[in-house]
Amino acid sequence: MTGGYRNRVAIAGYAHSDIVRHADRPLGALTLETARRAVADAGLRPDQIDGFTSSTLLPAAGSHAVEDGISAVSSAWLAEHLGLNPRFASGFQGHGQLPGSVALAVNAIASGAADHVLVHRALHNPTARYHGNTMRGAAGAWQWTAPQGYFGPLAMIGLTYNEYLERFGACRESMAAVAVEARKNGARIPWSYWHGRPLAREQYLASPLLADPICRLDCDIPIDGAAAFVLTSAERARDLPNRPVYVAGYAGGSPTRLRVPLHWPLDDLYETGAETARRLWAAAGVGPADVDLPQVYDGFSPLVYLWLEVLGFCPVGEAHRFVQDGGIDSDSPSALPVLSGGGALGNGRMHGVPQMLECYLQLSGRAGARQRAGVSIGLACHASPHLGGVVVYGNEQW
Amino acid sequence: MTAARPVPVPDERSAPYWEAAAEHRLVLARCSSCGELSHPPDVVCASCHHPDPRFVFEEVSGRGAVRSWVVVRESFLPGFDVPFVLVDVAMDEDDGVRLIGRLLDGPDAPLALGERVRVAFEDLAPGVAVPAFTLEGTP
Repeated sequence: MTGGYRNRVAIAGYAHSDIVRHADRPLGALTLETARRAVADAGLRPDQIDGFTSSTLLPAAGSHAVEDGISAVSSAWLAEHLGLNPRFASGFQGHGQLPGSVALAVNAIASGAADHVLVHRALHNPTARYHGNTMRGAAGAWQWTAPQGYFGPLAMIGLTYNEYLERFGACRESMAAVAVEARKNGARIPWSYWHGRPLAREQYLASPLLADPICRLDCDIPIDGAAAFVLTSAERARDLPNRPVYVAGYAGGSPTRLRVPLHWPLDDLYETGAETARRLWAAAGVGPADVDLPQVYDGFSPLVYLWLEVLGFCPVGEAHRFVQDGGIDSDSPSALPVLSGGGALGNGRMHGVPQMLECYLQLSGRAGARQRAGVSIGLACHASPHLGGVVVYGNEQW
Repeated sequence: MTAARPVPVPDERSAPYWEAAAEHRLVLARCSSCGELSHPPDVVCASCHHPDPRFVFEEVSGRGAVRSWVVVRESFLPGFDVPFVLVDVAMDEDDGVRLIGRLLDGPDAPLALGERVRVAFEDLAPGVAVPAFTLEGTP
């Protein structure tokens, strides 16, 4: 079935904090200020926000105690600290946290459960070792992996990526084009951690291997940062200051085969990812050929290949050649701008925010010096094609 | 090495698996309802979704084919010397069952997709052993 919500909900405004390694104040304070700026940007007052959605996942495998307002910020925390008692406040608990939070907001607005919903994401970089874990006994799901030394997302994506390289005869040097492209665009974004710091291909190739074939520069950098978007109905958005950007459709990954924790076999990504893509195009009423701005997720660089292939922007097994041949150079008129917003590799670990924000800025005509001509449909991915999510945005309704 | 590796904490569903591992036997859970293997043994059968799968743990060959591998150069857990290799293995009894374990042949062992491996065991403590793998040609 297609989305009855199609193009009925729009983004009306946004704000983004600076992205830094460690903020000089608690994450909650940073998020609160960012939320207030987003509401003002949308031409609204805080008391008009009657819905909140978000996710609080801290994507670290380390032994960190997560504290609301300090190392994560929930919708309930944010509403309370804004002094509001919203009609609707909800957290998304699946993978693809930002597309999931957008979906919750869209459903709330389209159903009338809320009028103006603040979608936010706040990410924290703990001072303790990010993935370092001192566990002595591996209980529950971890018993199947940690005693064997299989732990943390680097080994996880390393297995998937190596399977890709071996199956398709690809070489890891091709990925330099992804890292360089992300950092080129991130260097142009004032709030990016990598602002003014593009990456040379040689730097990528010299980056130390952490979990072969994954090197350090295949991974986004952990940061402190917060972003917020205001969503409202298409009708109300037309009376607000900014050009509305409509949510055409969304899709999330469906349950896959039972696996041990963090096991992402390549076939799971392709098979379940294909279902994610089918759902997306059905919901949005468009196909890959219609998309001007496919912002794929790149928290780990191999996910760029997988999203490009699953969504039909290049054939399965061909993305490594596609990127190496200049296929994603956002400065080339004939290429696909898939990391024009800098992505995670070019901004820092903002978990899908750069992808969503690039869609919003470009489609609302608010990208400033980076504004692209003739863009009308974008999509923003987060996490993996089999577990994550993706949203199609447009600046016209259909 | 100073710190110890994490040891598995068996629970009601996994105890037979770890008891067998301690004897250097690999067993897998077979659902009494649909007869399919299920790994890890979940509260519900992964194949037929029966809420009371009454898993029977049966010894398997421990042989399989490598589907991928990764060289771990930075361990996030205590007790592991790096580098080491992890292999993702499709088991012969059912290639939908995938186990991930250390390859004990060292970081320079020749590997390719489909490489044949067999289970081996690492003794972590008295009564505690963890499945790993070794190249099938290794004596």
